[in-house]
Amino acid sequence: MLRINNGAGGQIRPQSQKVRDLKDTFSTYHPVVNFAFFCAVIGFGMVFLHPVFLSLSLAGAFTYAIRLNGKRAVKFTLLFVFPMMLIAGAVNPLFNHRGVTILGYMGDNPLTLESIVYGIAIAIMFGTVILWFSCVNVVMTSDKLMYLLGRIFPSLSMIFAMVLRFVPKFKNQIKLISKSQKCIGRDVSDGTLRQRAEHGIKIISVMIGWALENSIDTADSMRSRGYGLPGRSSFANYRFDSRDRIALISLITLIFIVIAGGLAGENNIQYFPYIKTGEATLFSLFTYACYAALCLLPVFINVREAVVWKRLRSRI
Amino acid sequence: METFKIKDLSFTYPGRDRPALTHINLRIEYGEFVVVCGQTGCGKSTLLRNLKSILAPHGKREGEILFYDRPIESISHREQASRIGYVLQNPDNQIVTDKVWHELAFGLESLGYDTKVIRLRVAEMANFFGIQSWFMRDVSQLSGGQKQTLNLASVMAMQPDVLILDEPTAQLDPIAAADFLETVKRINREIGTTIIMIEHRLEDVFPMADRAVIMDKGKILIEDVPGRGGKVLAELNHPMLLAMPTPMQVYESLSKEKDIPLCGSPVTVREGRTWLTDMFSRRQLTNTKIDDPAEHMSSADPIIRLKDVWFRYSKDDVDVIKGLSMEASKGRLYCIVGGNGTGKTTALSVIGGINKPYRGKVLIKGESLEKQSKKHIADSLVILPQNPQTLFVEKTVSLDLMEILEQKGITPEEKQKRVEEIADLVEIRDLLESHPYDLSGGEQQRAALAKVLLAEPEILLLDEPTKGLDNYFKQRLARILKKLTENGVTIIMVSHDVEFCGKYGDVCAMFFDGNIVTTNTPKRFFSGNSFYTTAANRMSRHIFENAVTVEDVVNLCESNLNANDPGRESKRKAEQVKVQK
Repeated sequence: MLRINNGAGGQIRPQSQKVRDLKDTFSTYHPVVNFAFFCAVIGFGMVFLHPVFLSLSLAGAFTYAIRLNGKRAVKFTLLFVFPMMLIAGAVNPLFNHRGVTILGYMGDNPLTLESIVYGIAIAIMFGTVILWFSCVNVVMTSDKLMYLLGRIFPSLSMIFAMVLRFVPKFKNQIKLISKSQKCIGRDVSDGTLRQRAEHGIKIISVMIGWALENSIDTADSMRSRGYGLPGRSSFANYRFDSRDRIALISLITLIFIVIAGGLAGENNIQYFPYIKTGEATLFSLFTYACYAALCLLPVFINVREAVVWKRLRSRI
Repeated sequence: METFKIKDLSFTYPGRDRPALTHINLRIEYGEFVVVCGQTGCGKSTLLRNLKSILAPHGKREGEILFYDRPIESISHREQASRIGYVLQNPDNQIVTDKVWHELAFGLESLGYDTKVIRLRVAEMANFFGIQSWFMRDVSQLSGGQKQTLNLASVMAMQPDVLILDEPTAQLDPIAAADFLETVKRINREIGTTIIMIEHRLEDVFPMADRAVIMDKGKILIEDVPGRGGKVLAELNHPMLLAMPTPMQVYESLSKEKDIPLCGSPVTVREGRTWLTDMFSRRQLTNTKIDDPAEHMSSADPIIRLKDVWFRYSKDDVDVIKGLSMEASKGRLYCIVGGNGTGKTTALSVIGGINKPYRGKVLIKGESLEKQSKKHIADSLVILPQNPQTLFVEKTVSLDLMEILEQKGITPEEKQKRVEEIADLVEIRDLLESHPYDLSGGEQQRAALAKVLLAEPEILLLDEPTKGLDNYFKQRLARILKKLTENGVTIIMVSHDVEFCGKYGDVCAMFFDGNIVTTNTPKRFFSGNSFYTTAANRMSRHIFENAVTVEDVVNLCESNLNANDPGRESKRKAEQVKVQK
């Protein structure tokens, strides 16, 4: 039995591996859920400077980025985010001289512990937000953005769809033209600069003609299928399932608790003139937990999915 | 009940004296499959466009068009949009949105259906047309055939009563075209949608159609069951006869002979085969082989030689050309046939020096291609790319033709003269002042040919030159190519068009999996294949040895029919034929 299983697994491997690389369960949720999540984490990430909140958000962003981009995320963090954080962290104490704990002097200016700590906090905030955006890039595909936009401005989303159709078509035609020109000995990619420029202009002018010419057909096809009739509806492939509902409700609940915690001052931290945070109470611990849950939500969903699959497979 | 009743319809475009349509009377029954054919400019597109008000061209219209007994003008845009489906020629331009699923939903969105209904309809369409596997894709990733299927599906999603198709397969390769037509047939048979279609591929479409409408100069010439149209065309000696399926052409050419069984002309190869068998069952076969002039051709020295050429596009790709060796002699028309994606076009670009092989040699006139400069290559060799439209970069055809002469260093008068000469040769004289994009597909093909010919190449490489041409223009193209080869130009042509290569080629080669599998004279080449061959050969191969074209079959039939009276010998032969049958 086991052997048969292995054999079959081996055969479909190339396919399933590809799927696994891209697989992120959170991305398959309704765009509204994705969008609400990113609004929340990025919004909170930019506002909260409390070390606990900062580290929770960083942890969430980093794990999710790795989950989505794998090695590329690590590379991106090390090569881009980390140096940027260093610069941001280092720059602050150079210009900010507030704070009571003076560590030394640079020329006449004091170097304070508070400004260094504040710099580090700002740096982490920057890094975190950038990591979150790298996740947004992967999860919020053009379809999803268009869908969300279409909810608000239906005609705008139609224009977007047409532009997204047109751009690759236009590019492809330019490629075809330059290939064809090569066939008759007009190589656009060599010759003097002037020759190349002249040729480029010629191609662009002919492309405008081409676009106009083809748009007549497109317009015919649109009108023939009833475009312009009043009462146009907008179809989307996304379905708001019960799992989306559950995710959205928990998301909103978490957001409320975090905001309540924020209003109650749980995330308050004073950096200047000296560092001071509120007392850690039971409520603050609860807020931290909720914030952690919020930031790790996609990772949590992914892990849960993996566990479910594992269990299902072991049952088979 | 008729889907359409057209009563005495005449139509004149603004600013023209001659009407595009005159006194058209036509009834199209519900559930009928009607194919409309005719030469370019006979008014068939104008007729079809008039059947849907929103697409009807501007101009003076007389007469009446009734859609289910109601005048077409009185039917609302909404009703027309959903009940009259229209598919145009160009697969690319009809697609509006960027995703397959969105395109399928487009018409339904316009009609204002809610998400639930749209989801169901879209799912139905994806199932019926086999779109599931590419449902979520970007439309830019689709092949031409898939795009046209998508266009058809997105029209069918609106559940029309009648489907109008204007040359839907003109830009598709034969296999994609056959698939597409099969789908149309299925819609007609399984859903009962009325089909009105303009089509050039009559061999494929005649067997499916209930009725053929053959138009000429704005009038309906013939309106009958597909098999019966040929007789009138033959009597009129009309050029449209050339466009008819091969068995019909053979039948009509021979029908002057009195002693052949009359049963209405055969349309499919199977019918043609049966008919030939019946005809010769009582006769002696004196001559079963046609003289092949290509066999007696003296072997000229090869001007193009490829030795074990290997090519791939990038290091990690798979090989596209695999050990290709070939020789093409001076002054010959060398045809390369073969399926899609076998590397034919790539082979052409390797011969043309655009792509460099990573192993093996390309020798042009005995010199290695690598050693020659680009300029030098361009002087002696040009390629006519598959999509002729992409060659034009100027505002008018004549400016475009002038452009190619720019670097030749000749006087403007001389240029003008040369352009006019070439325009006469390819018969585009009266199109010289038009914008290249305003020309029809066939005209563009000829203008592009003019452009490459102006470069006065010794070697001409053609990529699918017959795509989108009707049979009449194909004949013209063949004449032009013949003239060129007589003047010593070597032509290598890559094509799907088996009939054209069989009829006009000097050498035919079959391309498969990055290599040439076999090379021979067209007669030997096609009579050696049993599937990949011309319709004339498929219909006659059980009787004649090497008949490849309609003329071959007709000539052999005539020589056998004129031979002496049937005797004992012939009976024996006829028995043999029967056994073979």
